[in-house]
Amino acid sequence: MLDTLLPILFFSALALAAIGAVRRVRLWRQGRPSPVPLMQGLAAMPRRYLVDLHHVVARDKAMSNTHVATAGGFVLAALLAIVVHGFGLESTILAWALLAATTCMFVGSLFVAKRRRNPPPRLSKGPWMRLPKSLIAFSLGVFLVTLPTAGILPEDAGSWVLAVVLAAVVAWGLAELFFGMTWGGPMKHAFAGALHLAFHRRPERFSDKQGGEGRSTGLKALRLEDTSAKLGVEKPADFTWNQLLGFDACVQCGRCEAACPAFAAGQPLNPKKLIQDMVVGMAGGSDAHYAGSPYPGKPVGEHAGEPHGPIVARQGTALVDAETLWSCTTCRACVEECPMMIEHVDAIVDMRRFLTLEHGNTPNKGAEVLDNLIATDNPGGFDPGSRMHWAADLNLPLMADKQEAEVLLWLGDGVFDMRNQRTLRALVSVLRAAQVDFAVLGNEERDSGDVARRLGDEATFQSLAKRNIVTLEQYRFAHIVTCDPHSFHVLKNEYGELGGHYEVFHHSTYLNRLLENGKLSLKAWKGGTVTYHDPCYLGRYNGEYEAPRSVLKALGIEVEEMARSGYRSRCCGGGGGAPITDIPGKQRIPDMRMNDVRETGAELVAVGCPQCTAMLEGVVEPRAEIKDIAELVADALVVEVSTEKASRDDTAGRTRRTAEEVTL
Amino acid sequence: MPHNAKSSDNAGLNVAVLVSVGRHPLTARARRADQDARAVEMALTLSGAAVRLVHASVDDSDNEAALRSYLGMGIGEVNLIKQASGADVVPALVTSLRDMAPQLVLTGTRAETGEGSGLVPYLLSEALGWPVISGLAAVESIEQGVATVLQALPRGKRRRLRVRLPAIATVDSSAPAARQSAFGPARRGEFDTYACASVMDELQAKWQVQPARKRPKRLKIVKSSSARDRFKAAAAKAESGGGQLLSDVSPEQGAEAIFALLKEEGVLR
Repeated sequence: MLDTLLPILFFSALALAAIGAVRRVRLWRQGRPSPVPLMQGLAAMPRRYLVDLHHVVARDKAMSNTHVATAGGFVLAALLAIVVHGFGLESTILAWALLAATTCMFVGSLFVAKRRRNPPPRLSKGPWMRLPKSLIAFSLGVFLVTLPTAGILPEDAGSWVLAVVLAAVVAWGLAELFFGMTWGGPMKHAFAGALHLAFHRRPERFSDKQGGEGRSTGLKALRLEDTSAKLGVEKPADFTWNQLLGFDACVQCGRCEAACPAFAAGQPLNPKKLIQDMVVGMAGGSDAHYAGSPYPGKPVGEHAGEPHGPIVARQGTALVDAETLWSCTTCRACVEECPMMIEHVDAIVDMRRFLTLEHGNTPNKGAEVLDNLIATDNPGGFDPGSRMHWAADLNLPLMADKQEAEVLLWLGDGVFDMRNQRTLRALVSVLRAAQVDFAVLGNEERDSGDVARRLGDEATFQSLAKRNIVTLEQYRFAHIVTCDPHSFHVLKNEYGELGGHYEVFHHSTYLNRLLENGKLSLKAWKGGTVTYHDPCYLGRYNGEYEAPRSVLKALGIEVEEMARSGYRSRCCGGGGGAPITDIPGKQRIPDMRMNDVRETGAELVAVGCPQCTAMLEGVVEPRAEIKDIAELVADALVVEVSTEKASRDDTAGRTRRTAEEVTL
Repeated sequence: MPHNAKSSDNAGLNVAVLVSVGRHPLTARARRADQDARAVEMALTLSGAAVRLVHASVDDSDNEAALRSYLGMGIGEVNLIKQASGADVVPALVTSLRDMAPQLVLTGTRAETGEGSGLVPYLLSEALGWPVISGLAAVESIEQGVATVLQALPRGKRRRLRVRLPAIATVDSSAPAARQSAFGPARRGEFDTYACASVMDELQAKWQVQPARKRPKRLKIVKSSSARDRFKAAAAKAESGGGQLLSDVSPEQGAEAIFALLKEEGVLR
């Protein structure tokens, strides 16, 4: 009896899965076109899955093993079961292999079930709670129906009642695991996830066999040439098809939610919910069936959308509220944690672009900052002719005078900020002590465009970037050094698409090189305990975790690491224009970060970013002192008098003469 | 904006806003003029009103982006009145405003470029025979051809005025700030070009133009003992202790009084 029932069950489940797959693909195809190499992508998929995806999953060892057992067991069991029970191939060897696979899957399922008994709040409930039962049903059911084939039990063991019961259990398992995979059940993540890995929008983010780390963090440029085109994403269907596919791959594990600083601060953002909302919008409907943590302060069930309806309504509610999108600090903690390689920040900036460029609705100080950037090339609206006032006494060599230098020191908009001027002074004194041949652009420098781009104003970003590239083209330099990780990231990773290719160093990397080459001699550190705060745009965006730490080590500082450091570093709250749009929450992100510092007992936080400095220094005392790495190095400099004098004469000689001419 | 202006339906109300090319005070880059943009904002908040933007000038290809930023506030087109170089825009504006027949004309108090005398609304009012209101802070309601408006007075005071339409109103910095200009609508918006006979500004042709010097500011010496006094001194408007009010005097007497004051202040020696 089972011999006739099982093939029917298997093939009808497969047929339904195929129909579901076609429907699902049509949902994704609503998106804008985005050319990807299909066959190459499919060929790269197994490696991307086994190496890159599992690299992320393996950060949680227990879960990683559970997934390997369950998913590995399932894939093997499914293939064998189709052969053995679907086609009725009477092979004892295959049957034994099938028994082993289902056993493996069963053991994995038990661990899944164990985790679901007391799930952490980041996990979604709802249909996900039945998944372990379905996994057990499938593995157990297929195991039992395979026993006769393997020859352990006689063919006619048990009565027809038992056969029907077994068939029902197998049917349940098949419904969840074959049919549910393409019809929107929890197992959808396997189907959509595999294709998402194959057709990812950023294929360059995956590692390669040559040992390339694979990193792709620069935002993709918006094409502004077509004047009639809509700018940014208004409707779910305005995403590219592979972005929609990516949203569909979400497994709702909530690792993003646990890492998101805005969520922890009680701002109305939850990356997981945002991705699920995009799935809701893609399929059409309301978010009432969402079974995870909501956006803080926003109950589930009040928002709805459709593929060709607006995501953010001008008035009232649609799929997502604007303040949800403006809460993001673009710190990439969610992207870093996501085992499905979903690009949350890209999606958020795409939607922000529409709000800024088409609605003209950048909240709070956003409009003012953008107007300032357009009119004065800096976000504060300062006179661009006063860029070098902070360095009036430093005789900084100008590129316009020198035409070429080994290092172009990119100062950034911190020149207008008195706190950052101290960092810049420190950096200049260190560069002089190491006798580095450097020059600055002076008043020719403009804002890098970072904040305009994160606020969605791609037009202003491209205008600033193109003018900066033209300026940089005039001069010859080996590399750019900057103490602002935001400028660093934009110059390094985002100017390339517009035609500017440079070798850019963050000052911590450059100082580390100077130290390694013995260009600097430092006094031993005499202060108290020190911790280090990784800036998002240096760490997660550019993978530089080591250089700042080795500079601190060279200073004789033993870094007391925070619980969240390195790739898990918590944002200071200063990125992505978040201090400008200033969406209220229950607490402030820098306060939370300062609590992380407090837990280490450190008396000083070493930082490497003007934004982090400003955000962390804004926390009320008593708190640890905040010092930039450049300041720590400058304080510890041992300057030999003769070289100091020589370098001063050397670098300042020409400038001094011109200064005399002017004063006459 | 006051909510009654929003709730009242101004269907059929025709508003023309005169816009000019502005100039950023620090970088001198062309931009939307601040007060003109506030005038556009005020027109846009009159629900149901048909808003037309009018700009009269010589070829503005350099300033296109600045004019487009008015379009970015959510208006489909700018009516562009082409004028020959050196033309006086007032006659052209008079002709086209007569044709358009708006009930309400809004504009900034003075332009940020060019003459910037702030006289255009008065000259228009004279030529058209329409009343002019300066320093409009809000339009409260418009009923049966009569507008109830709030006029801004110094130090935050407001005066409610009732004015028969059509009228010209100027908007200064006490009006609500202009909304953000969005890039997409700005570049999709269109210029509707009108040809209009140019009347040469012969007087201006004879003028010699030079950059203005910043006027020195009179030092205010504050002798005070308490923080309260210092605050009052900082917040108070200039005390008009001296001075005299002259009324019903002959032009000669008036001129003499002004001459005497200029001598006293050391402007004339």
